[in-house]
Amino acid sequence: MAVAQRGTANNYLQRAPSPSGLADVLSVILDKGIVIDAFVRISVIGIELITIDARIVIASVDTYLRFAEAVNRLDLTETGGAGIQDLAGDGAKSKTQGALEGAKEKLTPGNKDKESEKSKS
Amino acid sequence: MTTSPTKAPATAATYVYGVMAAGSIPAIDLDGVAGARVHPFVDGHLAAIVSSLPSGELRMRRSDLVNHLRVLEHAFAEATVVPCAFGMVLMSEEAVRDEFLEPRREELVALLQRLDGHGQLNVRVTYDQDVVLQEVVEADPMIAHLREQTRALDEEAGYSLRMQLGERVATALQYAREHDGEVILERLEKHAADVALEEPGEDVLKASFLVADQKSEDFDRELERIAEEQAPRLRLDVVGPLPPAAFATLEQGAWDS
Repeated sequence: MAVAQRGTANNYLQRAPSPSGLADVLSVILDKGIVIDAFVRISVIGIELITIDARIVIASVDTYLRFAEAVNRLDLTETGGAGIQDLAGDGAKSKTQGALEGAKEKLTPGNKDKESEKSKS
Repeated sequence: MTTSPTKAPATAATYVYGVMAAGSIPAIDLDGVAGARVHPFVDGHLAAIVSSLPSGELRMRRSDLVNHLRVLEHAFAEATVVPCAFGMVLMSEEAVRDEFLEPRREELVALLQRLDGHGQLNVRVTYDQDVVLQEVVEADPMIAHLREQTRALDEEAGYSLRMQLGERVATALQYAREHDGEVILERLEKHAADVALEEPGEDVLKASFLVADQKSEDFDRELERIAEEQAPRLRLDVVGPLPPAAFATLEQGAWDS
């Protein structure tokens, strides 16, 4: 699909020789690699607590409300119409346009730079 | 408690970092887990990288985790290493030989051969949430419609509509993640000897790839192509080459003593 910015792959591909955060270190060495008899392993009580913050997606009320909010927060006018027309058929287009009107009304000032300025005009 | 890092008694509990071919084990001038000096324990053609542990109760710290990884990285930089998982301890150096190296010799040798000339690359692919949410809204007229409706209603009145909207968005995102994840996996797999998938959660893809040294440029170019084609909706984070811990596994069950 058409996107606003192309190229500049550097921004979208990050390389690191070695993990930096503790969670990343854990993901490399905890339960990866050779393991023999569990009873001789150092107890790693406490470490589990750190790994548990790994986000688990549960289709829950909270998740739904969060996505609803995220979608409503979207500034749909930002990338203009090109991508929209590429993707959506005619019926969809009118609905989307309706949503776009809504978006304009609720635009908060100080949103993203020049694109939102354009949409306000 | 005082520990003597210089000469540990032969009966000291022994922490094991990994296994190498005896001929290729480098000098490792590093502190290991619990601050003890790391040294090789050679048995025939195999050598385990070990350090002794102080007796008594041990509390693992962040630095112990980092040290474990650093020792493996140091070894990996010099030669092929079969990494052990964090926390592997045997009762003595003799036990390292009698309970680990000897009974597992064939498997360890096979692993050393298989991992020789390979590194592990950990790839994590994530969405730019706003870009992808926008795609989702644009692709599904019902989502766009629900969005329009709920924006006009206050919290109370719009609750059930917002739930509908959120559910539909969550489903669409999940579908997109699975689709994108599959495509990217397929493209990267072509340049890898093996892959270990992890539960991606809200990420698009989370996987470790075992990549041969002579394929690492191809792998990297593929990453670059994907990043370029998918910008700005996707972001790729690559860590490595790392000691191939995700691919160092012994057959379960055969261990029995």
